[in-house]
Parts: sequence; structure tokens; C-alpha cells
Amino acid sequence: MELIQVKGLKKSFQDTDVLTNVSFSVNKGDVIAVIGPSGAGKSTMLRCLINLEQVDGGTITVEGETLVGDGTYSEHVKVKNITSKMGMVFQSFNLFPHLSVRKNLTMPFMQVKGASKEDADRLAESLIGKVGLSGKMDTMPSTLSGGQKQRVAIARALMLNPDIMLFDEPTSALDPQLTAEVLNVMKQLAADHMTMLVVTHEMSFARDVANKILFMCDGEIAEEGTPEEVFRHPKDRRTAEFFGTSSGNRA
Amino acid sequence: MNWSDIVTTTAALMQGFGVVMMLFAVTLAAAMPLGFFLTLLTRSRFAPLRWLTNGYIYLMRATPLMLQLFFIYFGMPLVSDFFKRLFFSAIVCAMVGFVLNYAAYFAEIFRGGLLSIDKGQYEACQVLGLNKFQTTVRVILPQMFRVALPSITNESITLVKDTALVFAISVPEILHYAKVAVSRTGTVFPYMIAFVIYLIVNTLLQLFFNWLEKKTSY
Repeated sequence: MELIQVKGLKKSFQDTDVLTNVSFSVNKGDVIAVIGPSGAGKSTMLRCLINLEQVDGGTITVEGETLVGDGTYSEHVKVKNITSKMGMVFQSFNLFPHLSVRKNLTMPFMQVKGASKEDADRLAESLIGKVGLSGKMDTMPSTLSGGQKQRVAIARALMLNPDIMLFDEPTSALDPQLTAEVLNVMKQLAADHMTMLVVTHEMSFARDVANKILFMCDGEIAEEGTPEEVFRHPKDRRTAEFFGTSSGNRA
Repeated sequence: MNWSDIVTTTAALMQGFGVVMMLFAVTLAAAMPLGFFLTLLTRSRFAPLRWLTNGYIYLMRATPLMLQLFFIYFGMPLVSDFFKRLFFSAIVCAMVGFVLNYAAYFAEIFRGGLLSIDKGQYEACQVLGLNKFQTTVRVILPQMFRVALPSITNESITLVKDTALVFAISVPEILHYAKVAVSRTGTVFPYMIAFVIYLIVNTLLQLFFNWLEKKTSY
């Protein structure tokens, strides 16, 4: 079943064309790694899906509902309804620094879903356990390591029970050891059949966990396929060049 | 000056102290929300509203508070009978003047606090599905207030001292009673008692805000 369909996405900032023509689709249960050189438009593409950026043209359909059709956005309520099916994890975590870990998880859930404190607490405790931070429930984000913050951010996104999780370079701000603990949580999610779209520079994660790779370059998808196809037998010259320069130290 | 003089003088000054505290409380309670409202107006999508608000803030900050008080108390009643009745009482004029003036300063303080909040906070709120009101009340305001707190402390201490200005529009505050007592006793002690009262108030205020800063730090 197709969860997301993207066709002919275009986006520019001032005079720079960031996305020239992006089309792809996401099936239920897919774990898609979006890779490519800096400035390829990976993050912008992800941000367009959840309406943090507005596209200039193209179509985005999520679970059969049109977020933007041929450059024209649906009305506000529908857009909100569509984006609520997705959760997002940022490179810079974006936890609420003035709230405890518990409240970071429960506050949005209670506000958005109108849930009771008891239900929110119960769900928060189970999710925070799932990301391995049961002991940290009542601490403040400032006392956590980067890896712990990102795991809290993942749990916070999961509170709202999204069908699709978007990850925007979730480990780029972390050192290798902390990266591993975040990637482990993401692998766990993948094993639970969460549909995931991950913008990443972690080639091992892309190769071992993803079932599909999107290689982006110059604002378009230069190549897509299974990790085997893209890593071992790249068809596009730019893909081959990218691995030629990056596989030595990253793969 | 003997002990009974000190007791009578202090008692008289405490009457002025009551007026000062009332002016202080009313100004803080009204100028802070009004200031935040002005901050929101300076971020309005409607340009004339932004210009008007910025112009107001500029006017209030670029002219003496004393002049503003004179304008309201002595000037406005000359404009029409309506203002004559509205601005009849000196204490009412003092409160109106202080609230209007301090709101402009608080607007600037809050603007700085808002600027310090990372764009990622708004984005996190959006992807979690919080609406504008929830975002403002649950996420932005608490952080803005925390960043602005040291400036709010500073402004509050200035406010306590600024209340002495209403002496000039004949509101019977601490200075008024001190001056009367100095003439009556022919000594400098009433002024010294006034010093002590201001010192005690601002020390307590500082301690309170220190406690608040510690309590709200994250």
C-alpha cells in the first residue's frame, strides 16, 4: 500500500533551485534512506512533506489525501490533518528545554489529543522505556546527553502515534558512540514495521536497515533502488562519484 | 531628633510607602501584559499596526517619564472637560502614566526574549500538531519569560525608584512625607529613613527575583 506519493516537486529559495523535479513513493513498512551530497535538497524535500517548507510546484499525496496538488495546497484543516499522520525528528532535537522529559512527551499529547494526564503518563512511560530511558522520566533535557535527547525526541514523536516517521539527519549532531544508541532505537522501530523516511549520512544504517535508497543530487533523485543496487551497482555517474569519495571513510 | 520623632516620622513615611507599593503593583500587573500585547503587535502581519506600535514604543522610551506625567496631569485637563474629570486625581494620572510608559519598556524586553527562542521550537510545535495558541502559551511564553527575567528584575527595581517622580504631580509618596518631616524637625533624619525604606524594598525585591530565577532555571 502506498502511503506517500510525491510527483514533480519543485522548490526554490530566492534564485536557488533546491528541488528541481522530485518524484518517489513510499510503501507501508518501507524504511527509506535518503542520501546524497550536502546541498542536494534532502532535508528540504523531507520538510516539504510535513509542511515546514512550501513547495513551488508538484504534488504530495499522503494516504490518498492530497496535501498539495500541482502546487496548490489544500485548506488549512486538511493540511493539518494530513501532516498529523507523520512524526518528525530533527537534527537539533528541538526538545522543549523548560519542560521535564515527562512533560515533553505528555504536554503535546494532552493538548493535541485532549487526553487525560493518566493516559498520557502511561503511554509516556511505556515509550520512554522503549527508547531505554526509563530512569530519566523526571529529569530536565539540559541534563541529558545528545543521544539521550534524540531518543526522547523520538519517543515524543511516537506519542502521537504517527503512521510515518521522518528523520532529518538525526545523528549528525552526535559523536559515534551516541550515534549508535540512536540508530539502535531506529533499528528497533524498523523491526516494528514503522514506515520511515531517513535523511542520513550513516551509510551503514542505509545499507543494513533500509529496504530502499533514494540518492539525491542537484535537487532531483538521481537514483533509487535497493541498497544492493545503489551501493554495488550504481547506474548514475553522480552516485558512483559520491561513493568513490565517501565510501572510504563512511561505509 | 529623639526616638518618638523617629517613630512618628517613620509612621508618616509608611503612609507614603503604601502609595508607592500600590503604584508599583498596579504598574507591574498592568504594564507586563500590555507590554506583551505590544510585542505581539510589533510582529503583526498588518504593517500600519507595526508602525503605530513601534512609534508608540519609541515615543515612550525617547521622552522623559516626568514630562509624560506632567502632560497627563497638567496638560490633558486643558484639552476638554472629559479629560478634566478623567484626570482629576493625581494618583490616577500617576498610574496611567506609569503603565503606559513601562508597557513600552516591557515590550522591548519581551521582544528580546522572543528573538532568543530558536526557530526549531516553533517547528517542533508545528509537527506535533500544537496550534498557535498552545504553542505561544505552553512553549514560547515560558521560555521568553525566563530569558527576560533578569531584565524584568532590573526594570522592577527601577520602577520602585521611579515612583519618586510622582512627587512632582503632588501624589503623597515617601519623598513627600520625608520633605514635610525634614521641615518640621529641622534634621536630616527623615531623608535617611526614606533611604532605608527604599533599600529594604529593593533588597527584598532582589531576593525574590533571585529565588524566581533559580526556581525557573532549566
